[in-house]
Amino acid sequence: MKASCEHHHECMKVIQRIIDREATDEEEAVFLTNKDQCLPCQEGYALELSLKKAIQSKCSVPCPEQLFAKIRAKLFLLFILISILIPLFC
Amino acid sequence: MDVSVEEKIIPDYKAKEIFEKEFMPHLDAMYNFALKLTADEDDAQDLVQDTCVKAFRFIGSFEPGTYAKAWLFRILKNNFINDYRKKSRGPSKVEFEWVEQSISSDEEYSEPAYFADLHAETVQEMMGDEITAAIQSLPVDFRMIIILCDLEEFSYEEMAKILHIPIGTVRSRLHRARAVLKEKLVEYAKKKGYH
Repeated sequence: MKASCEHHHECMKVIQRIIDREATDEEEAVFLTNKDQCLPCQEGYALELSLKKAIQSKCSVPCPEQLFAKIRAKLFLLFILISILIPLFC
Repeated sequence: MDVSVEEKIIPDYKAKEIFEKEFMPHLDAMYNFALKLTADEDDAQDLVQDTCVKAFRFIGSFEPGTYAKAWLFRILKNNFINDYRKKSRGPSKVEFEWVEQSISSDEEYSEPAYFADLHAETVQEMMGDEITAAIQSLPVDFRMIIILCDLEEFSYEEMAKILHIPIGTVRSRLHRARAVLKEKLVEYAKKKGYH
């Protein structure tokens, strides 16, 4: 197995496209074939995947409940204003 | 707000229905995006509220059946850049220019060859607060693209539309943003003694 990758910069771009589901089937197939022979690519793939998963699972916070109520109240006010003002100008 | 799209007149009852059905389910995602942009809970709530009011006012330019989340995120991003960036503790103009220069010189940018000090296991061990702090410390354009791609899973094409940049710039900015994020995480890992 290779301990260093001479194309690492390019490989990382492909790895990210694969993880983002933006790579072509051909790109993915070539990468998966070569991955087992290249340690930096294997570790790069695992790192990118874990980072994406960590962001998805650990960096999300729920919207405060009162925000739903605040938005509905604002829209209700806007709705009333529109209902009153539009007939005045039509 | 994209005014090039033809606006249709929608009856108020219908506008409310569209709002509840198409927009409200994305409130959590909008709040998360706003919070990462402003780094302040009150500012994030204000930004989401203003975005919702704008979305309601311009609901005639929304086409039901199209991707409401991308439409809302675009309004939110524009709202942030036009209004909140000026008054928040957000990045300065200099920071934006730095990001753009970094991106335009992407070809010359040399990514660390190999993040030997950062492993998948290290990232798995990290707390959400630590990763969030690393994301918050990024320049805002980098922060935006990481959140849109990794947290909200927009496609490159959708991100290009939301950010109003070419798809090639989406790719290079995302790649650069991730490299900078990993550099930040290496620093955190060393500081906290992760292995």
